[in-house]
Amino acid sequence: MDTGQEGRMRLPEESCTLVAVGAGPAGLCAAREAAACGVRTTVLDENDKGGGQLIKQIHRFFGSREHGAGKRGFEIALELAEDCANAGAEIRLNHRVLGFFEDGRLLVEGDFIYVLEAKAVVLATGALERSFPFPGWTLPGVMGAGAAQTLVNVHGVLPGKRAVLVGSGNVGLIVAYQLLQAGMEVVGILEVEDRVGGYEVHESRVRREGVPIYLRHRLLAVEGLEGVEAVLAKDLEKGTVKRFHADTLCLAVGMIPQAELASMRGCRMVFVRELGGFIPWHDGDMRTDRPGVYVAGDAAGVEEASIAMDEGRLAGVAALEDLGALSPNEARKRKEELKRRLNLLRGGAAGRPRAMAKERLAAGWRHR
Amino acid sequence: MKGDWEKVWEEARERPVALVDCRQEIPCNPCEEACRKGAIRVGEDLCSAPVYDPGRCDGCGRCVALCPGMAIFLLDRRGGDGQAEVTVPWEMCGEIVEGERIWAVDGKGKVLTEGKVVKIKWMGGRWPTRLVTIRIPEERALKVRGVRFRENSVGSSEEVDQEYDLPEDYPVCRCEDVSREEVLKFLKMGLRSLTALRRSSRVGLGYCQGIYCQEQLRKELGMVTRRSEEETGMFKVRPPVRPVKLGRLGGVNG
Repeated sequence: MDTGQEGRMRLPEESCTLVAVGAGPAGLCAAREAAACGVRTTVLDENDKGGGQLIKQIHRFFGSREHGAGKRGFEIALELAEDCANAGAEIRLNHRVLGFFEDGRLLVEGDFIYVLEAKAVVLATGALERSFPFPGWTLPGVMGAGAAQTLVNVHGVLPGKRAVLVGSGNVGLIVAYQLLQAGMEVVGILEVEDRVGGYEVHESRVRREGVPIYLRHRLLAVEGLEGVEAVLAKDLEKGTVKRFHADTLCLAVGMIPQAELASMRGCRMVFVRELGGFIPWHDGDMRTDRPGVYVAGDAAGVEEASIAMDEGRLAGVAALEDLGALSPNEARKRKEELKRRLNLLRGGAAGRPRAMAKERLAAGWRHR
Repeated sequence: MKGDWEKVWEEARERPVALVDCRQEIPCNPCEEACRKGAIRVGEDLCSAPVYDPGRCDGCGRCVALCPGMAIFLLDRRGGDGQAEVTVPWEMCGEIVEGERIWAVDGKGKVLTEGKVVKIKWMGGRWPTRLVTIRIPEERALKVRGVRFRENSVGSSEEVDQEYDLPEDYPVCRCEDVSREEVLKFLKMGLRSLTALRRSSRVGLGYCQGIYCQEQLRKELGMVTRRSEEETGMFKVRPPVRPVKLGRLGGVNG
């Protein structure tokens, strides 16, 4: 720590050309593009492993060859991190970004606190599990479905013996299945709508194991003294209340883009329901309205890991183009290919609303 | 019997044949990549359902192991004795051994029949999947989508008294322990912005910096002000976005 003339402390300063914040699929892919082009690239991540949420995914992934489809999430995580490092990027784990200031500098806590300056910053900070308050939600045993998944698949710890899940989207279905794989009982999945939110194939997987899905059931409360003992849900058709005996309640009710750094940097924030909430406005190449600031992956709207990869690559190419490290012609070619792929990934019924939201963003996002 | 499956049924008399039960628009094509015989086609449009030609299938089972939706199975009726062998992907951690009795279930989890495990094979890359082959009466074979040991669901619930009273008060901001009642009180006093709520009640000033309670507060505010989420906006974000020890900011390590 350098104490300047007037006894004022100065934080160590460092600079590099491109920084990706977040070593998930988006950040790693953005950094790989940049590093492979010879640009000095650093990836920062607050976790002790690279790969973001992929490290806890033990199921095989959708997508195509470019996204590691057919492989398990954690395999894809290892491959992406290896590719990124092999391309020459420096991946700094256990480094937490504390601030992103309007002058473009990042405040980072690693072994010590330092300031990092970069010509291009790709925000790939991912998303956060949505939760909501209800009576009993602070009891031990109430957790996000992703948290349960981390316990089971990363740490090898069962969160409890009997679980109820809330939300029948893909996350709820997949996590229910993985809790079964780990040896827990799944008492049921509560869904407030009248149909299952996730893909039929995922629904079928949990049903085959005998897990009931309660449609039109609303979570009311959790009962218990020192932890979850029972879950109360209202049957919206009959108007009755049901009590499920369980010691774990997992919420799988969506994700919220984690975009605090973009907001602090002064990026224009827009609320896009289809993409999970407030996100930094970005154009079709993943540029925000602040020069040198790009966004990719779930922080740019909650979607799938395969999309995060291609968005990361797109942000990387756009940054390289702006840095002058890629010729406009080459950049255009690569962007076209990535956008073609993104369109295909968003081509199904589930993806179309997100594709339309992204189009509206690219067109400027005016209020309707 | 649906058109495709009629052909599967016929071909299965000669050799094991895949049964592809994938109808939704899912951006996915590992089945196409897995097939060395070109029997499964997804094509350029990643989201289109696979087009499958049972006539070209050699029953190798690679697609069964690699389908992320676990939606492909094998059917084998070569025995010709009224029994069929059905192969399903199995990803549970427990033990399963040849000779064991197991339930065969349909896509909804309904038990179809009991069967015997006749073969177990690991397949599908570095982290393979078990392909479990069971022998069952053939009239049920086309419907089988899985196997399990438990006969039926563990789901159990009881009806609760109609007069059950829900607690009305609970924390909204768990970091600073601010209750919903308290938030409503400040709204009643006329506070109309996230910042005002934060200043007066301490919601969003705790460890998580408001990332968890923010949505709920926006909802409560919106109900009073009739403003949209976008108009209500976000908490002003200030550094540090993650908690940090003051000593570290002051240059003390550890």
